[in-house]
Amino acid sequence: MHSRHFPLLLSALIGATAFAGAPGKVPLAVEYPKPLFAGTPRPISLSNLEPAGVKRPDIMVSAESKLLSRGKKVTSSDSLPVIGELSFITDGDKTGIDGAYVELGPNTQWVQVDLGASAKIDAVAAWHFHSQARVYHDVVVQISDDPEFKKGVKTIFNNDDDNSSKLGKGGDKAYVETNHGRVLPAEGASGRYVRLYSNGNTSDELNHYCEIEVFGIAK
Amino acid sequence: MLGARRVGTDKSQAVAYRWAVPPAFLRCLPLALLAAAALWLRTHELARRPMHADEANQGVKTGELVEAGRYAFDPRDHHGPTLYYLGAAVAALRGQASLTTLDEKTLRLVPALAGALAVPLLVILARRREPGGPGLSEPAALAAGAFLALAPAAVYYSRYFIQETLLATGALAVAVALRCWWGSGLTRWAVAAGAGLGLMQATKASTPLFVAAAAIAFLLTRAAARPASPRPGLDLLAGVGAATVTAALLYSSFGKHWAGLPDALSVYLHAVLRFGAEAPPTGHEKPWGYYLHLLGWSRAGGLLWHQAALSALALAGLAIAARRRDPLLRGFAVYGLVILAAFSAFPYKTPWHAIHFAAPAALLAGLALDALARRRAGPVLAAAAALLVGLSLWQQTRLVAFLRPADGRNPWAYVHSSSDVLKFRPLAEAARAARPGEPIRVISEEYWPLPWYLRGLPGVGYWTEAPPDCEGALVIASIAQAEAVRARLRRPTRESFVGLRPGFLCVVFHPEP
Repeated sequence: MHSRHFPLLLSALIGATAFAGAPGKVPLAVEYPKPLFAGTPRPISLSNLEPAGVKRPDIMVSAESKLLSRGKKVTSSDSLPVIGELSFITDGDKTGIDGAYVELGPNTQWVQVDLGASAKIDAVAAWHFHSQARVYHDVVVQISDDPEFKKGVKTIFNNDDDNSSKLGKGGDKAYVETNHGRVLPAEGASGRYVRLYSNGNTSDELNHYCEIEVFGIAK
Repeated sequence: MLGARRVGTDKSQAVAYRWAVPPAFLRCLPLALLAAAALWLRTHELARRPMHADEANQGVKTGELVEAGRYAFDPRDHHGPTLYYLGAAVAALRGQASLTTLDEKTLRLVPALAGALAVPLLVILARRREPGGPGLSEPAALAAGAFLALAPAAVYYSRYFIQETLLATGALAVAVALRCWWGSGLTRWAVAAGAGLGLMQATKASTPLFVAAAAIAFLLTRAAARPASPRPGLDLLAGVGAATVTAALLYSSFGKHWAGLPDALSVYLHAVLRFGAEAPPTGHEKPWGYYLHLLGWSRAGGLLWHQAALSALALAGLAIAARRRDPLLRGFAVYGLVILAAFSAFPYKTPWHAIHFAAPAALLAGLALDALARRRAGPVLAAAAALLVGLSLWQQTRLVAFLRPADGRNPWAYVHSSSDVLKFRPLAEAARAARPGEPIRVISEEYWPLPWYLRGLPGVGYWTEAPPDCEGALVIASIAQAEAVRARLRRPTRESFVGLRPGFLCVVFHPEP
């Protein structure tokens, strides 16, 4: 067997074991909005891109897991967005149409969802902008009980491969935004706050969010 | 010249002084201030917006002229030579002698200076020269100039290295020269108008459209007036001669490329093949109301884009022009309408053509103010209207040209490069430093403006399809080519995405160390 196939096989094995050996686990039910574009005019075929309209593999969560973030308070490094309001991020509207997203300024910006109390978080789903094929740079997702994110920070996703956002180098892959957003397993990380960073995108230097959903079990 | 002047004495023989300002200086001051403001708007942070693919392409062509002194008119894919020669002239003034040293500011200074020049030209063209004569009052002419100075399309495309601003300013220069000739009868003004027309033709082959529009306007509005020249036929010949010589000099690359002369005519044949009824779609076909939409308002992605205040005032001016027996203003109104109708009727539409409506709209808006100022309490109302329209234009121009100049929602930023393109050069330089002996490959069906950003770097190659050997210090592939490239890479690589323009992504393959 070629050595480069080994990590893949190992991951599949671990995944299968986790699936089979996780009693009480159920697939996370995420409600996806309608697609606003059906791929770029050119065929997209990348190893890390899910084709438009095709669901990614399920994330297994405990049966008691539920949506914790709806209507929760959102703060941001850009406290006065020019377009939209921070409350749009947890209002349940992930259609992505004009008036359903918030636009933050250029360079690295973050938004932070306050769940109100510490929770055991199973997954975080994020929709940045899905009416055009674009990739958001330096997407970093962190969970903490510290609103300043100075201590007890758990990073569940980081695709800043050159540490340009100065949060540490990450090994996760970049992805093209679609109506499926990106659902990230949090593996029961504990925290009250969920913070998402990004550093512009392939279309412009701005940062956008349609919706963020945090799933887990309130403590 | 400013100077202190003794103005009188009282019984105690005390001497009083006041500053005397020559009237000519005072008369020129508002226009000079207006021109300076127009110049600032067109040159401030000129290099900040990423290069559009068309700007990049023409920048590389200018670089060849600067570096090798070589230029040959290409009738198939490029417009006329004026832009490149003016770009080379500015480069020489700024001490830039190669494609590598050439920069965005040098290139964009060409349309910026032309766009700034358009403002005083419009004021000079529009102002009344004698009591009861044709034209606008001085304040109204200045207001028209201010509207042009602030108009979003005029500012945006004066900061954009394409031909359209040169063409629009050329049309105003020709109109000013013709008005001077008409009033003075001096042959030198006919020659100046001809030279301006030659420059227009050497800028873009669409010049006959503007000549036809001007001819229609002249025929419909000339009344019984006659030019002051005792020999208008000879002056006309002198003008045509000047136009021909000017255009021929440029199209022949100043005598170095005589094939440019027949090519200057064959461009119309290529245009028929490209835009004729049998031609395949270019991708730029738009509905007839496209330009009206730009002159009105639209909402995109939470942002409001408009020019409705100026357009409303211009419409009022149009109605006044129809009633006022002023051949200059009526002629300009007809010219603007013919240009708008012609561009709207032609299916191929790009937003930069809208710059040709800016001067007529500004002048007609000035006419509306001129008419308003004649009413009771009119001057105050006219000043208020001018201020309102000016503020509305400034708000839009700030948004369009400074805050969101490359935003996909900006109606003037047409198929524009995204700000991500600025990342390609540092990536390529780092890759060259890490692997100096290996090439940098760009494999994409569309790759402009990358040749501009990667200019001067050795070992950069471009392919529209994946070649058999894809290895390199850095490989930049379009989404469509990425899979084929990945299959041909033998070494492990790290991948990242960089945008070329909204909706067009590139995958960058970095060999692992």
